[in-house]
Amino acid sequence: MTEEKKKKSVDLASMALIDKASSDQVNLVFDRAEEMKPCPIGLVGSCCSNCGMGPCRVPLPRGKEETPEEKRKRRGICGATAETIAARNFARKIAGGAAAHSDHGRAVAELFLAAAKGEAPGYEIRDEQKLLQLALEWGVEIGNRSNSEIATQIGEKALGEFGRQEGELLFLRRAPLKRQELWRKLGVAPRGIDREIVEIMHRTHAGVDQDYRNLLQQGSRAALADGWGGSMIATELQDILFGTPAPVLSQVNLGVLKEDEVNIIIHGHEPLLSEMIVATAQDPQMVELAKAKGASGINLAGICCTANEILMRHGVPLAGNFLQQELALVTGAVDAMVVDVQCIMESLPDIAQCYHTKIITTSPKDKIGGAMHIEFNERNAILSAKEIVKVAIENFPKRGSNISIPKEKTDLIAGFSHETINYLLGGLFRASYRPLNDNIINGRIRGVAGVVGCNNARTTHNEGHIAMVKELIKNDVLVIQTGCSAMASATAGLMVPEAAAEYAGEGLASVCEAVGIPPVLHLGSCVDNSRILMAATAMVKDGGLGDDISDLPVAGAAPEWMSEKAISIGQYFVASGVFTIFGVNWPTTGSTEVTQFLFKDFEEMYGGMWAFEPDPLLAAKLMIEHIDKKRKALGIDKARERVLYDMTMRRELE
Amino acid sequence: MEYEIEEKSAPGREKVKVLGATFEEGRPQGEEDGKWRHKLETREEKLKYLETGERYWYGKDWYGSEKRKNPA
Repeated sequence: MTEEKKKKSVDLASMALIDKASSDQVNLVFDRAEEMKPCPIGLVGSCCSNCGMGPCRVPLPRGKEETPEEKRKRRGICGATAETIAARNFARKIAGGAAAHSDHGRAVAELFLAAAKGEAPGYEIRDEQKLLQLALEWGVEIGNRSNSEIATQIGEKALGEFGRQEGELLFLRRAPLKRQELWRKLGVAPRGIDREIVEIMHRTHAGVDQDYRNLLQQGSRAALADGWGGSMIATELQDILFGTPAPVLSQVNLGVLKEDEVNIIIHGHEPLLSEMIVATAQDPQMVELAKAKGASGINLAGICCTANEILMRHGVPLAGNFLQQELALVTGAVDAMVVDVQCIMESLPDIAQCYHTKIITTSPKDKIGGAMHIEFNERNAILSAKEIVKVAIENFPKRGSNISIPKEKTDLIAGFSHETINYLLGGLFRASYRPLNDNIINGRIRGVAGVVGCNNARTTHNEGHIAMVKELIKNDVLVIQTGCSAMASATAGLMVPEAAAEYAGEGLASVCEAVGIPPVLHLGSCVDNSRILMAATAMVKDGGLGDDISDLPVAGAAPEWMSEKAISIGQYFVASGVFTIFGVNWPTTGSTEVTQFLFKDFEEMYGGMWAFEPDPLLAAKLMIEHIDKKRKALGIDKARERVLYDMTMRRELE
Repeated sequence: MEYEIEEKSAPGREKVKVLGATFEEGRPQGEEDGKWRHKLETREEKLKYLETGERYWYGKDWYGSEKRKNPA
């Protein structure tokens, strides 16, 4: 393997397929990233294209100190300063990310309501307990009412959150009381999900909000509407419809594809149709059809967050993360790739032409030129799923001879929802976060880190995630993960209980062994970052670690971020009180003031702040330093073992 | 399953017998193995669990660090 190839990925399966793509003359994301360098002005947030007078470029001068006069002149044609332009661009990224998560939540709410009314055959209430939980929380009468009646009212309320015009989002009440007060004081408690996103688009239009602080406060409001609104609605309603995740054993990496079976890859973010495909793939009629075409069965595997959704609930294996989507096709063994929304590369149909794979789009919001479209219709989802599975089966005999499935695949345990963590720590009769808090207080566990986010072709695939997570657990920091980041750690074997003894510090390993959990927990997809908010809130509410999320010895990171969704996630974690560090690049460095505001002033306002560090080990060090700072503030910076005194020891004391 | 009993030193006493690891050997089979929520069968059991297990939000009393706080 050449040095150049090593830089594209640290994953052996991916590196082998990058080589195969090269010999097959297939152009990959890695090649495009080499051929096209990022625009240096857009990269730092200093380009404004929000009106027809621009695009205007206002970068910092290179290699010299700017004079006050030069700074005064560094403006767009409309007079917008570099600060306004950087803040506008950052806020629009938040709007894009919050819109993506929240529109996912809306789609789930619409399906949920249809299922409650009996208008979506095949969908049903699978988790009554979570239905009751939301009913208690949202003031929906339970009594002797049927699940359908309760769910109908909950579905209507959930949909109402998107168009709400005043008041506050219902899920904000879940947050620690002190945090809720702070949001109200700062004027960032979201009124409605759509409203806050629309208001960003209005304020960032030419000639509206021209105070970077005010723009970024609206960014916090929209981001909070994502984390404590749209994303949380998606997570909770999906749990009710498809089941709340519980521990499940599965496998990860491209080696999960099977040469003798019909391989169907499910890719995207919304699990609405894929839940039906999971059921359809097990249908004996479909299996018989596959056998009639020469296959020995039907093999489902996933890419990106739809994969995480069906992994968490059904144990469907993960083929890979964002930068592996093209590589899956390069195996020559994928008979159909079914995509829904978000993080889907437009290059897929082009690459599929080099092999035999059918790329099937399923959402009216996400069509791709050159792909086949079979639209998901909630009123007839089973038929859509059957049609898709049949296309894959019919395509199996058309496979070429140029097939190469890597052997690499790794075991993982997924399914750590907030509810399951609570249950695992305390048991059925006294479910509790107490053991976690106690072990943080006694120092066995130093703190908790959420490592999340994407892959980015500008940095080595998976390297940042794995290096950071290994460094954190070595230093007794329990890691909780979602999205593509979770998949990276899983490929490195960090998501099995045995990993504790091999990679974790002594204290963390002892707790993991006692509870029977891995040192790195998979909490799900990117909307499931809302589960991390719930876990952090449970830690606060259990007591002993302060009375707000900003008091906890915790930190967050996205070492390989690339999407606007990551920016929205980061902003809602910061506004919820979490120190959050990103790698690769930082999109406001064109304005020192805006960057300072996000990196320093936010700490005074929210107790959480942003940071940027591309080196994953240095970033982990900063996270650990922050965790230690919080431990010191709590007075738990010196490890204290709890000793159970027997009578002899007591007598010695006297 | 057979329980493992280990002998360990205890402060100020002779060695004591303690129960060893109680996990079962082998790998879980299928998606049902880790599922625990079906242990709660009736609506009453589920509501009771919410009140105790998820007491941070659904308990009747204030809980933990926020117990001493005035309502927001």
